[in-house]
Amino acid sequence: MLPFSYALRNLFRDPARLAQTVGGSALVVLLLVAAVALNQGMDRVLATSGSSKNVILMGKGSEESIERSEVHLEAEAAAATSIRGLDSQLGVSAISGEIFYQAPLETESGNVEQALFRGVLESALLVHSTVRVLEGRFPQSGEVMVGHLAHRKLGVDAEQTAIGKILKFEDASFTIVGIFEAPSTVLESEIWFDRNDLAAITQRDTLSSITLRMDSAEFDDVEIFTFQRNDLELSAIREDSYYEKLSIFYKPIKMMTWVTAALVAAGAVFGGLNTLYAAFAARVTEMATLQSIGFTRGALFVSLIQESLLATLTGTLVAFVTAYFLLDGLTIPFSVGTFSLTLTPMVIGVGLVAGFLLGTLGTLPPAFRCLAPALPSALRSH
Amino acid sequence: MKNLIEIKDATKSFHKNKETITPLDKLSLDVGRGEFLSLMGPSGSGKTTLLNLIAGIDSPTSGEILINGNDIAKLSRSQLTRWRAQHVGYIFQLYHLVPILSAYENVELPLLLGKWTKAERKAKVMAALDLVKLSDRAQHRPSELSGGQEQRVAIARAIVHDPELLVADEPTGDLDRESADSILRLLGDLAEKHGKTIVMVTHDPKASAAAHRALQLEKGKLVGEGHLLSH
Ligand SMILES: Nc1ncnc2c1ncn2[C@@H]1O[C@H](COP(=O)(O)OP(=O)(O)OP(=O)(O)O)[C@@H](O)[C@H]1O
Ligand SMILES: [Mg+2]
Repeated sequence: MLPFSYALRNLFRDPARLAQTVGGSALVVLLLVAAVALNQGMDRVLATSGSSKNVILMGKGSEESIERSEVHLEAEAAAATSIRGLDSQLGVSAISGEIFYQAPLETESGNVEQALFRGVLESALLVHSTVRVLEGRFPQSGEVMVGHLAHRKLGVDAEQTAIGKILKFEDASFTIVGIFEAPSTVLESEIWFDRNDLAAITQRDTLSSITLRMDSAEFDDVEIFTFQRNDLELSAIREDSYYEKLSIFYKPIKMMTWVTAALVAAGAVFGGLNTLYAAFAARVTEMATLQSIGFTRGALFVSLIQESLLATLTGTLVAFVTAYFLLDGLTIPFSVGTFSLTLTPMVIGVGLVAGFLLGTLGTLPPAFRCLAPALPSALRSH
Repeated sequence: MKNLIEIKDATKSFHKNKETITPLDKLSLDVGRGEFLSLMGPSGSGKTTLLNLIAGIDSPTSGEILINGNDIAKLSRSQLTRWRAQHVGYIFQLYHLVPILSAYENVELPLLLGKWTKAERKAKVMAALDLVKLSDRAQHRPSELSGGQEQRVAIARAIVHDPELLVADEPTGDLDRESADSILRLLGDLAEKHGKTIVMVTHDPKASAAAHRALQLEKGKLVGEGHLLSH
């Protein structure tokens, strides 16, 4: 066996090549890590946004889009009295009729950006159990409460959504009086209005949806209610299924991130392979000499693999450090909210496997070509 | 057994687009232990091909290559690799030192295949470098050595594991007269004083004269025996 130091020193034989292999593998791993983190982040926020204890009532025929859904105002009271076993606090049933709306919003700095509005009453806090007011209070008329990631969705600094700031929508102004969190859910990117304000401004006399939080009740109980009161034209869907369906809607976007990452990575892989081919081809005679001394092809192959692995795993490390500083914790807005990138063990694992495969599978073709020639002709070529 | 090498009817042929090239044609040759044999002949006459068969780098199409009574023509590729590690040292015209390794590390290479301790390896490497008068250059890279010095390092590498057989393919082909002479003296000493059996290919009549016996190859056959020196 050749000593490990031989592989290490071969690595530094050509600093330009070393830089290219390390940089190339870092790029590939970084892209892969970003793609996995992106997909995971999106999946995670959609998976955790819905609660299995919540059921959403929407207008029949508009189950796909909560914005287009219309629910009669009286359905809220009807549901509250008819459905037994809902969660409640201090005698108030956990039932929240809400208006959901998307429109451009202007910040004090003059930025106008599409925002997610939710018109709610205080009962919203009973159904959206992850929501916690961090600062300030629940909004009343003329006021709003913002999710602590709403500024990301708006594309402005956090200070633009601080308490006391004004947000403009249509011709009305709203003062921010509260900031809330709702960890790992899309709610964190929303702006919560007083329901009557939002109804007035959008000239609606209906709700978008009613969310119920069940205690002893079952989904079937809620569904039976929609059948009994078919005059209200309601359709019930579990909140977690609702977000699950949304995530199917994002499949094409996820595919796009994979395809883009794969294309750029493929370019980097082929570039790297080319460099390795050239580097190993220049060593055909040296490899043949070592074989003439008595080193087996297997031993030389191991040394070549060690050398590549050193480079690609260094690249992987560079990718992880870069990802840690650039990607970890990064919040990315998308149409229904904001998700964050996290270097989970799974993401790190995928990156490590990629770096390992680059150093092994990627080295096979150039290594074979370097060790394949018959000894007499390899020794002749110089 | 008197002879270290006994070649019987060794033929090497290649097939290329229906044509058959036969660089070696039913060649037979005996080389005694401790003999320093030189092979001469025109370019393409099969000298390197023969040398490669003797060194276990290549296998004949037919015939026997007995080294120490052992027919290496019958060995598989991996068996040959192991055989070479113990029994032969190869000296190339262009030295073929590993550029990233120091003279010391180049010479140490064959020892990495054996079961020597680090201290034993060091003793052997220094002894070999001493023999080629380069102990003061142990830490130098090949690029920091002259051609003659590089070839001496290559010789040290070929003898460090103490093989009975040395083969050299135009070892002085790339050197000036003075360096060439010192290499030839070294090879002569290795045969005379250390009992090595040496087969050397050369184009240089003066180099050939340093050997005990010189043979002429032509079109894959031995033609006529040259001088016999000192035997
Ligand atoms: N792999 C091969 N395939 C086909 N022909 C080969 C192969 N190897 C050697 N030959 C042929 O065998 C013949 C002898 O080659 P060899 O290298 O032994 O000659 P040589 O005597 O060493 O010549 P030189 O003095 O130029 O080194 C040449 O005609 C060469 O073309
Ligand atoms: Mg030759």
